[in-house]
Amino acid sequence: MKLNEIIEKLSLKVLTNLEDKDITGVYISDMLSDVMSKAGAGNIWVTIQSHKNIIAAANLIDIAAIIISQGTDIPEETIELANRYNVVLLGSDDSTFVLGGKLYQIGIA
Amino acid sequence: MKESIPNIVDIKRIQETLKAKLWVKNTAEGEYITGIYASDLMSDVLAYGNSGSVLLTGLNSVQAVISAYMAEFKGIIFIRGKVPEKETLNFAKEKGLFIFSTEDDMFEACVKIANIEGKAPEIIDETKTEKKAWNIITHTFYIDGQDFASAGMVSTQVKAILKSIGYDPLLIRRAAISTYEAEMNVVMHARKAEVTLTASDKEIYIIIIDEGKGIKDIDQAMQVGYSTATEEQRALGFGAGMGLPNIKKNADVLEIDSVVDTGTRMEIVFYVK
Amino acid sequence: MQTQKCKHQWEMVNTNPGFILTEACHKCSQVSTYFSREDNPPFEEYRDGEHFWNVMASAQSVRFDLKCKLCNTLVTFDELSSLLLCTGCKKDCDVYRLMEKYSGKRIWFYVAFGFKPYADKLMLSDEKIKILEDYYNQRRDSTNSSIKIVSFEMIDDPDSCAGEFIIDSSMLLLAPPEKK
Repeated sequence: MKLNEIIEKLSLKVLTNLEDKDITGVYISDMLSDVMSKAGAGNIWVTIQSHKNIIAAANLIDIAAIIISQGTDIPEETIELANRYNVVLLGSDDSTFVLGGKLYQIGIA
Repeated sequence: MKESIPNIVDIKRIQETLKAKLWVKNTAEGEYITGIYASDLMSDVLAYGNSGSVLLTGLNSVQAVISAYMAEFKGIIFIRGKVPEKETLNFAKEKGLFIFSTEDDMFEACVKIANIEGKAPEIIDETKTEKKAWNIITHTFYIDGQDFASAGMVSTQVKAILKSIGYDPLLIRRAAISTYEAEMNVVMHARKAEVTLTASDKEIYIIIIDEGKGIKDIDQAMQVGYSTATEEQRALGFGAGMGLPNIKKNADVLEIDSVVDTGTRMEIVFYVK
Repeated sequence: MQTQKCKHQWEMVNTNPGFILTEACHKCSQVSTYFSREDNPPFEEYRDGEHFWNVMASAQSVRFDLKCKLCNTLVTFDELSSLLLCTGCKKDCDVYRLMEKYSGKRIWFYVAFGFKPYADKLMLSDEKIKILEDYYNQRRDSTNSSIKIVSFEMIDDPDSCAGEFIIDSSMLLLAPPEKK
């Protein structure tokens, strides 16, 4: 599935520059050490973390996009760093749990 | 809070669906839970988790069960086959929280639970709980520096006492969190401390008097930016700091007096509205 | 590593979550960092020769080894404390200069940090750093970007580096965030 399709179906807010990509799966965790050891390239990563070090973990693994859940305020410096390193940041008002369910419903496994 | 949660299911069905292993059984089995909160970040559990929920987490630490208890959750499901620590199990048993573990990762677990068909909960009318006559209540506790195994126990007792008095859950949460932060400061930076809890219908007073290194520059220690911006660096040995800003955030009044190489007196006050 | 002909295909094995602990000595203020796989690492003050160590900070992290799927070569990474994304915080830093040289090529620079005190502890060899870099590039599976890992020894004053570490701090903090 393409990233643009997911953004449209889940009405996600696009917070950075956007590049359409193929999505290989979903990874959910709030821990960067989980992402650096277990997430897959091209995954969508769902987290409530908004500190700018999420960019460091996402970039290393080539995460396709980060969805920051629960309407969390995202610091300007996080968005700025994401743009600098070509990481796509998306926002949602849904909780992590609800997002997990919805991503599956639209057909990403 | 309760009506906003889409899927309300009983714990047994979650256990079956996730093929979850039971670690601690409790009174809540067969009861409905009111929501799922999926997070590894304990501060967010406390801030946004609704009471009656279940915590889904990969964070295998006693702090997970302490925050689940403080946020009034019914229990925890650990993901990716994490084996809960003994302390976690003991704490859960004592406080009546259930503990499960599943081999699923966070995404799989979220999907499976989300696909369980929901049932309507029995709504309990909380306004019917009776009010007690007021007495001023005082309790004293002791904390030993460097005793990490017992860290969090004083704040847990404080919470239990405040709960039995019947304060507003949000007020109890703020008081418990502040006490926890102060307790951790003592464990990390002092030799020992005495904690006095005084509770009335107007205020809750928590006074912590420690013997220890003291705080050289209180203003600097109170700076929020200082403690958050450099946390990663601190953990890797770059600089040092304390967690006072978090107490300030939660308390109505925070007063600190400190003498270097002698100790610190901290007074935390909450107004009862 | 010694197998010359194998075109290594690395996979991560033996992953273990744990804590990076920072200790300071009361007497001399020296700082020491190490990784602990224990659920409850030793927190009490203890004496080690002339030092009186106290835990100052901790963060969660993960230890791992890399193994070649083809020849079974196992490489340990016990010397690695954390990876840091270089954000170009200092213009006179060698890592920044290197990054500038490759700017526009979609090469992202990471810095591999060792444990403190740096002078006394074993540091990640250049060979291992290259293996780690190969592993992450293989895992990225991307043709339009790549990563480059360098040693923190390229930085004049690692303590003042303001890049982004990949570690988990404040996960255990029981205080609500300010926002919302």
